[in-house]
Amino acid sequence: MDQDYEERPGWVRLPDDEGPPYPRGAARARASGVRRVRRASNWTAAALIAGVAAATGYFVHHQPAAAPATSTVTTVPGGTAVNPQKPTLNTPVTTSGGSGVTVTTGPGGVKVYHYRGDN
Amino acid sequence: MDTMRRGLAAPGWAMIDIGTATVGVAERDALGTSARVAAWPPYNLARVLAITDTELARLDEQASRFRDDSEISAVHRTPGEVHILSEGLAEAIAVALAAARWTGGLVDPTVGSALELLGYDRDFAAIRNGGAMPPAPARVPGWASVRLDGRCLRLTAGSRLDLGATAKGLGSDRAASAAAAAITGGGVLVSLGGDIAVAGEAPTGGWPVLVADEQVPVSADSGSGRAGQVPEPSAGQVVRLAAGALATSSIMCRQWRRGDHMLHHIVDPRTGMSAAGPWRTVSVAAATCAEANAASTAAIVAGDRAVAWLSGQGLPARLVGRDGSVRFVAGWPQADGGLVEAPQACRMPAGGRTA
Repeated sequence: MDQDYEERPGWVRLPDDEGPPYPRGAARARASGVRRVRRASNWTAAALIAGVAAATGYFVHHQPAAAPATSTVTTVPGGTAVNPQKPTLNTPVTTSGGSGVTVTTGPGGVKVYHYRGDN
Repeated sequence: MDTMRRGLAAPGWAMIDIGTATVGVAERDALGTSARVAAWPPYNLARVLAITDTELARLDEQASRFRDDSEISAVHRTPGEVHILSEGLAEAIAVALAAARWTGGLVDPTVGSALELLGYDRDFAAIRNGGAMPPAPARVPGWASVRLDGRCLRLTAGSRLDLGATAKGLGSDRAASAAAAAITGGGVLVSLGGDIAVAGEAPTGGWPVLVADEQVPVSADSGSGRAGQVPEPSAGQVVRLAAGALATSSIMCRQWRRGDHMLHHIVDPRTGMSAAGPWRTVSVAAATCAEANAASTAAIVAGDRAVAWLSGQGLPARLVGRDGSVRFVAGWPQADGGLVEAPQACRMPAGGRTA
């Protein structure tokens, strides 16, 4: 296999631990450049991986601060997490009674019956 | 204030103040009863109302037996012939037939003639007390006599359909799902005469709903004048609904007098007469409102067998006896404010079409 590289003009075998000595002259300089580029690529890839890992860790630990203030999670006395964006309703919004009559508890706890045709 | 203006922009809807601005609520007359819609965030309300209007108008044009110009009225004028239905009416009839099969015929869409003979032959608001009791109840042809194949329908001569046990629920299902699909984020609740469907994301802890056990006021039992369409809501129970649907059927509303008899709108297909079981009000939670509606009506008709049937179906239910006693079934919460967990899967088999 090694002979294949030397038999083709312009082709240079990349260096490795077990390989033969570097080619001489222009071919040797070219191989050296390739080696430098490969080293630089390795360092660049390593730096990118480290950067992405660091950024991921940062956002995982700082997500609430990055989100809008209105989506802050709070805890009610029962221990259940509540998203303030979702409403919490304490009075019925409608009535299920079989007739269509609906009851609304308005401000001050005043109950109002809505009969058909009241509108 | 902005919410109020948006809501009022929808014709026919009245804004309802429930004491918080986090949810928009509006109400209007529809399908012979009242429709109530709630949406959060409140800026979604106007869009939800418009979609609900479209769905209700479509259902009314398809399935109302009180409108001469409805599609189902046209079918009734020429029984015995084959009709090619709109997809909407075909679906409504298919759901009614599915409910009939599922309940073993306790809910039957062919009770139309029996209801009319008993006096429920017009919008309920126009029914008046008085008149003689019919000498004999009308024979109910039975749901198996309805031939529905896709959009092709054929009724036997004399057969008239009443989709009252499922159509309102279907309307709530249609409106809620269409509205939820049209909004980004938040959730909606659609109630047609107390048959409620929710879709999208519910408020924290679910939508609070008052399950009422209505009483007929004395004036409705006076023997003359308009029938008792204005029941007095009693205390009932507040429950929370986070998903699925909830429907209530009651014999305490929509009552009228014929001779010495007080009649109501839930007909037992086996007798052609108003159902005479031990339950006056039944509320059921189910995956869809059409299913909940059918189950609550079937429970009124089933009488003593209602609890076993609802338990067997795994449908949470609240039954109020004629004596006022309350029975809870299949996990319906006993405490006020409890969460009603409607099954996620339909119990009622889909289809219902007979060829």
